[in-house]
Formats: sequence, structure tokens, C-alpha cells
Amino acid sequence: MPTIDQISETVFRETITRAVQDVFKTMLGRTAALANSTEVATADGSPWEHPVQISGQHVVGTVGFIGDISGLIYLYLEDGFANVVASHMLGMTLEEIDEAGHEVVNDAVGELTNMTVGTFKNQLADKGFPCKLTIPSILRGSNFSIEPVSSATRRIYRFQVGDHHIVADLLMKSGDNGS
Amino acid sequence: MRYKILTVDDSKTVRIIVKKAFKAFDCEIIEAANGVEGLAAASKEAPDLILLDITMPVMDGVEMLTKVKSDPALKQIPVIMLTAEGGRDNVLKIAKIGVRDYIVKPFKEEVLVEKAGRIIDLKPLSDGPTKAKSIFDPATLLVVEDKPAIIQQIQEGLKHTPWKIHGVNTTGEAIDFCSKNVPDLIIISLSLPEEAAFTLFRLIRQNVKTKYTPIFALVVKTEVAAQQQAQQVGFSYIVTKPLEISDLESKIAKAMNLDTSQRYFAVDGDVFVMRLPENTTQTVVGEVTNYLKPKVSEAVDSGIVKAVIDLHELKGLNMAVIKLLIQAMQTCKDLALQYTLVGNPQIVSECKGFEDTRNWHFHESIVDAKASFGKAQPAGVA
Repeated sequence: MPTIDQISETVFRETITRAVQDVFKTMLGRTAALANSTEVATADGSPWEHPVQISGQHVVGTVGFIGDISGLIYLYLEDGFANVVASHMLGMTLEEIDEAGHEVVNDAVGELTNMTVGTFKNQLADKGFPCKLTIPSILRGSNFSIEPVSSATRRIYRFQVGDHHIVADLLMKSGDNGS
Repeated sequence: MRYKILTVDDSKTVRIIVKKAFKAFDCEIIEAANGVEGLAAASKEAPDLILLDITMPVMDGVEMLTKVKSDPALKQIPVIMLTAEGGRDNVLKIAKIGVRDYIVKPFKEEVLVEKAGRIIDLKPLSDGPTKAKSIFDPATLLVVEDKPAIIQQIQEGLKHTPWKIHGVNTTGEAIDFCSKNVPDLIIISLSLPEEAAFTLFRLIRQNVKTKYTPIFALVVKTEVAAQQQAQQVGFSYIVTKPLEISDLESKIAKAMNLDTSQRYFAVDGDVFVMRLPENTTQTVVGEVTNYLKPKVSEAVDSGIVKAVIDLHELKGLNMAVIKLLIQAMQTCKDLALQYTLVGNPQIVSECKGFEDTRNWHFHESIVDAKASFGKAQPAGVA
């Protein structure tokens, strides 16, 4: 059974970068540039220092993948940027998005996350790590932190999309460890 | 025929994007949020195409696809998978169950429409007869010709129109242009090397967005074999070189189904005006003849009782023009319209030379003609 140890950091970085760039280019006509990345070692029981700096309202999409490797990817979008994304994807004005409410924006961010994680894991599948996607879910809030279960590895990638930042937070473990 | 497309996706966003993608086409979009709803909608609506996601709650897309393909009533419905679930092995496994195509998200709306268009005959929505585009509306024409002088000749000749003429020299440039814009009409020179014109014609017809775009063939008059070939493959019109620009303009207007009546007919205050242009060719005579009765009737119907037949721009008379004018006068008489003529010295002089026209009386301007109503009718007119 292959394990995530066989995948180098470079491959993870390139794979998530390609996924984010592909989705933003295709669905929103925008360029996403990798600003920085942080690899966080496997949690060892010591207090987790949250590496994703959350300030202000955020919409966070999550999609998991289960198979030879399993994990979750969180996509953090600032609240205002989430509205812009939804507006573009749905062909609605920002005023219309405001009127339509959180449900519509949540769905758009969920789909954006689904596409990003899909593109990420499809590349891994073609490299010999088949896995399946889970249904997206959404978190909304500010000043919150997400702590992974022990034995998971965590990688943080921050992208610049115009004036906005988005963060992809990858939590993974080998499939043989369960999910 | 209005096609039905069923989109089965738990994401409302995707369903909205699908609706948006097909908005310009004559089809109905039916929505379902999971496989169970999808099966029910497929049975009830009998769609012509299903767009199916995989990862969904309640019943996923693979299960729904399996059930569709094992149901005799549904198995003929073509299915396109539209899903973030890609990867070679995954795609191959699902393809074996029986899908017509597979689109991996993220996707461009154009790709979705193009792939659907390969399965169902998508037709662009027309504005309908009440909103027919007029000769004064802007339009984009693409001319594919390797001789820049011909492109220039067309651009010069049609510069009085609101049409934007975009000229390209190669088929590659033409395809590139069509991928970014949808021209209202395309003119392709048959002199492009290696039968490229016919290859381009096929490519344009295969593209769902340009499937119904009128395509003209441009060819030297003596190249009869090429003209026959163009007719056989289905070019809308053959236009021969040397170019007769007014003929080309008329054919373009006809192919785009444009209302050209405003060129010849107008209502000026309480007076109906029929105007013949400087160069009233046989084609123009044909157009005016077709519009004549309906336009005069429309004017009478709206309460107008006076008409001016304006020939002040006309350069010369011929039998076709004289017949048209006689017909116009007769139509006015039949509908009890008072009418009078406006002409230039050349036309006035030429009219003296024909038996049928020698008694026609002309005014020098529309203002004079309008002022004459209410006075005694000009001799030979009423």
C-alpha cells in the first residue's frame, strides 16, 4: 500500500498550486499565485499553534478525499472575496448576492472547494494514489482554529488572487491508517 | 423542437452555471439535486440529455447512471458526466457503464455547450419575428480571404452600413476569431490554398455556436467547379468576383434575415414616404416590391392618408423601376391614399420620353410635395 511519505513536498506544492490556479483561471478568469507555503510536522501531542492567521469574517470550504491516501482540504476565503467569487460564478451582481444571502455564497464556495480538491486528488490518483471525494461542507466565522487529529500531516499554502488572499490548508494521513 | 436537459448536481451553483451556459439556446433545463430526484425527473420529463455529477448525497451519480442504463425506458438517454471526480481509472470505470462524454470540473461553459451540441441539435434562441433585426443594427461580419485587396474592397464598399467587417487571411485566424466572437455572417474565399475553405466550412458548422451562421463562398466568376462544390456542401450564398458590392449587401441582408424596409419606407409626420436610392438595381426593385403592399397598408392602418414617392436621389429610369413606380401608385390608389412625386431634373427629363410617364408631375423637394397636399392634385398622378 503506497503512503503519503512517498510523495515529496515539491509534489504536494505543485499539485495544490496547479489545482488552485486551474480552478481560479477556468471558473473565475483570475490568476492565483502561490505566495508562501508552510509544512507542519505530524502533531505529537504538543499544543497546536495555529498557522492560519484568521482575522475578520471568513468562509471556509472543506472537501475530503478517501482512498489510498485520505485527507481534508480547507479553503479559506475572506467573507467579501467569497461574495465576489459567488457573484462571478453565478453571473449575479454583488447586490443580488447580498440579497440572496449566505446560502448561495456557501454553495458557491463549496463548489469551488470541490473543484479544487477534485483537481488536486485527481492528479494524485494519476500518480498511483486513487481516492474519492466527499461532499463539501462550509464553515463561517472569525478567529477560529481548526486542529487536526494526531498522526495527520498538515501543509498550509497561501495564494494571492488580485488583492485577496486565499489559504489552502491540507490535512492528510495514509489510507491504511483509516480516515 | 425544444430540447430538455436534465442537470443532476447537489450544488445549486453548478445547476445555475448549467442554466447560464444554455441560456442562449432553445432548450429547457430541468434540475435535480441527487440521484433519486434525477431518476424521478428523467422518468417524468424524458430529457434529451442528462448532465450528471458523481458525488451527491442520497444517491450518487454512479448509482443513478447504473439505474438509468438498466431501465429500458431510460437507457437511450445520453449522459454526460459533469464531475470533479476525474483520474484515468475512475473515468474509464464510469465510461464502461455507458456515458456519451465526460467533463471534469472545473469546466468552461463553452466546453459544456460544445459537448452537449455534439449530442443534441442546439439552436440559438432567435429574437422572434416581432424583433427582427434591421438593416440599421450593428452586426459582425468575418471575411476569410488571403487577398488583402478583396477584404479592403468589402470593407470600403460596406462602410456606409453599421456592420463591422473583420478580415483575416488564414483559417487559423478565422477559427481563433470564432472562438472569441460569434460572427453574424462569414464570407470565405474558395481560393484559400488546399481546399482550406471547405475544411473551415465544416469546422464552423460543427461548432454549436456557429452551426447556423450564414456562410458565403467568395469565388471568381469563371470557377464553376468550385461554385458547384460550394453549393453541394451547403454554403448559404455564392458571391462572385469581381464583386458587386450592392448585390453582396443585399445578399447579406437577406441571409441575416434583416428588415431592410426602413431604407425605402418611412413615415414623416403625417406623410408616408417611399424613397428609391441612387442605384435602384434589380435587387432593390425586388426588395421594394416585396415590402410595398404591407408597408402602405400598415401606414393606412395607422391613419395616414398622404404619400410621397421620393425619387430625388434616383440616377436613371429603366423598365423595372417604371413598373415598380406604376405599381406603387396603383397601390396608393387602391387604398385611397393621396400621393405625389418628388424628382430631380434628370428623372423629370427622362419621364418625358416614355408614354407611360410623360404626364407625371414632380415636385422639387419633400417640403414642396407635402405643401401640395390639400391643393389641386398634380396632373397625371391622382
